[in-house]
Amino acid sequence: MAKSTNIQIARAYLTSKIWQTFVAVLGVTFGVSMYIFMNSFMNGVNKTQDDLAFSALSHIRIYNQDNMNVYNPIESQFNQSKTIINILNRKNIQYTTGLNNSSSIVSSVKKQTEVIAVACQVNSSVFFRSGSKKVNGIISGVELEPEDELFKTSSTIIQGAWNNLQTHKTGIILGKLLAEKLGLQINNSVNVLTSDGVSKNYMVVGIFESNLKTMDETKAYLNITAARQLVGENSDYASDILVNIKDRDNTASFIQKITSMIPYQIESWQEANEQLVAGSELRNIIAIAVSLTILLVAGFGIYNIMNMTINEKIKEIAILKATGFSGNDIMTIFLTQATVIGLLGAIVGVIMGYGMSLLITLVPFTIAGLETLPIFFRAQDFLLAVVFGILTTLIAGYLPSRKASKIDPVIIIRG
Amino acid sequence: MEKTTSLEIRNLIKYFHEPETFQVLKGVSFTAKKGEFLSIVGKSGSGKSTLLYVLSTMDTDYEGTLQINGDVLTGKTQNQLAAFRNKHIGFVFQFHYLLPEFSALQNVMLPALKLGKLSTEEIEHKAYESLRLLDLEGQELKNANRLSGGQQQRVAIARALINNPSVIMGDEPTGNLDSKNSRAVQEIFKQLAQEHGQTIICVTHDPDFANNTDRIIEMQDGLIV
Repeated sequence: MAKSTNIQIARAYLTSKIWQTFVAVLGVTFGVSMYIFMNSFMNGVNKTQDDLAFSALSHIRIYNQDNMNVYNPIESQFNQSKTIINILNRKNIQYTTGLNNSSSIVSSVKKQTEVIAVACQVNSSVFFRSGSKKVNGIISGVELEPEDELFKTSSTIIQGAWNNLQTHKTGIILGKLLAEKLGLQINNSVNVLTSDGVSKNYMVVGIFESNLKTMDETKAYLNITAARQLVGENSDYASDILVNIKDRDNTASFIQKITSMIPYQIESWQEANEQLVAGSELRNIIAIAVSLTILLVAGFGIYNIMNMTINEKIKEIAILKATGFSGNDIMTIFLTQATVIGLLGAIVGVIMGYGMSLLITLVPFTIAGLETLPIFFRAQDFLLAVVFGILTTLIAGYLPSRKASKIDPVIIIRG
Repeated sequence: MEKTTSLEIRNLIKYFHEPETFQVLKGVSFTAKKGEFLSIVGKSGSGKSTLLYVLSTMDTDYEGTLQINGDVLTGKTQNQLAAFRNKHIGFVFQFHYLLPEFSALQNVMLPALKLGKLSTEEIEHKAYESLRLLDLEGQELKNANRLSGGQQQRVAIARALINNPSVIMGDEPTGNLDSKNSRAVQEIFKQLAQEHGQTIICVTHDPDFANNTDRIIEMQDGLIV
């Protein structure tokens, strides 16, 4: 009974100065909606950035690097003192690079439950020649299906078809800019010269355009079998094995799991692209800093309004106390007001933040394969916005409420 | 009717510390019987209002003991005292002090809703009844700040009475009223004391009012004379 009386009084106070209540609610609304909008926008940007990056980047790459060899039989043999060794014109041995037993690695990686897709690649830098034109670039021998699963490469083909590589054993798919440089069109033939001096002719069966300019300028796809032939390797050879897993932020634990089974180097995308990670982290920090600042400002607004209300009502608070309302009752009355303001503000803020974000997705933005500004909603942002909004209001309301609960009625009533 | 003790103070001493330490009450003792209508008079600065606020339990910064209905109230916490006031003490102030956001009826009902002993319907009925007795029929649902001064004061009295307090205190309850309204309030108080056995203690400047009471306590320089 007494509790509901307090709430009744709180309601009367909230509705009697509806404009003040409205302004206070608006403060929270802005804070919450900005929090949602900023975070959804930043998530959209991060997601776009990642999608862009992961159109050419796998989560995990397994490769065999030609390590600098430190083995030196002479120095280890004659290691006594007072021996002078002078080796002239020392040559390094070319060790095998790449993986000669790719299928066994692929099958052991595929057994892991986290894995989405595994693809072998044979990559080699080559010269593309057409007539008198000579352009250096990278040739990538790919397994068609897994490659498409990893990077959705088939969707980047603008002329010809991805599956042409399957049907044409000597087919090649060129980057758009590379084809332009060489003056090549579909069904033309192009000569490829490897660093080992092997030269072979291929027929252009497709042209792709990705969102990465460097790829369009330098890259060409071959069927992996054709590529193995070109570099003169066995039919189980791969220069890289690319793996995508379910949770790309969780590469470290996955690598730890497979590292004992695979005798080659394993690299996560985070290690290979630290600037990507840093970029998205920094954007997240900015988003949180901006939105928390807004909430803080809203909090000060609420604090001011509550303080004002309490100063205005100081006589009435004294009366309530004189007629038997305790300090706790007074606190309940004003905290109820703060809670209502916080809840209303949060609800309206969620709706407004959502609406604002939807509006932003209509703004055209045509760079790097985008059409409009990116927005990505996450439930946790909405939840946190509501929690922060209500928390700010409660803290902002608590201090004035405590002040009100400590008002000494005698001082007020005596005047 | 046998008169039992309603309120008792023993050797009340109080200091003001601002602007400088000054002894306002210098050891005041008196007893009020149940159903007694008392007035406290004295020049301003004699300590009569200060005494009333100590009696009202709102001011707790004093030495000595205060006892109402046999309960020693000295040393209780603010919250305990608030609950005690709610149940046992009714107030009428010089400036009626109603809550302007609420209707006359709601103003009267609030202390009873806080006490929570009766249902809302019963309280409402009681509030209507008591407003009617105070000649406020038809004004119940008006907002408090739209009533005249005399009406507001009577609403304040109705509020003071709603919980059937054993003690009613007034700080110049008629100070802001014309003689007609003032007389009406005096009659109400007298009736309450006689018919309901409620103890009434009022601080007043008005000699007419004081002469109309059962006993006059005159204060001078912090002492009863």
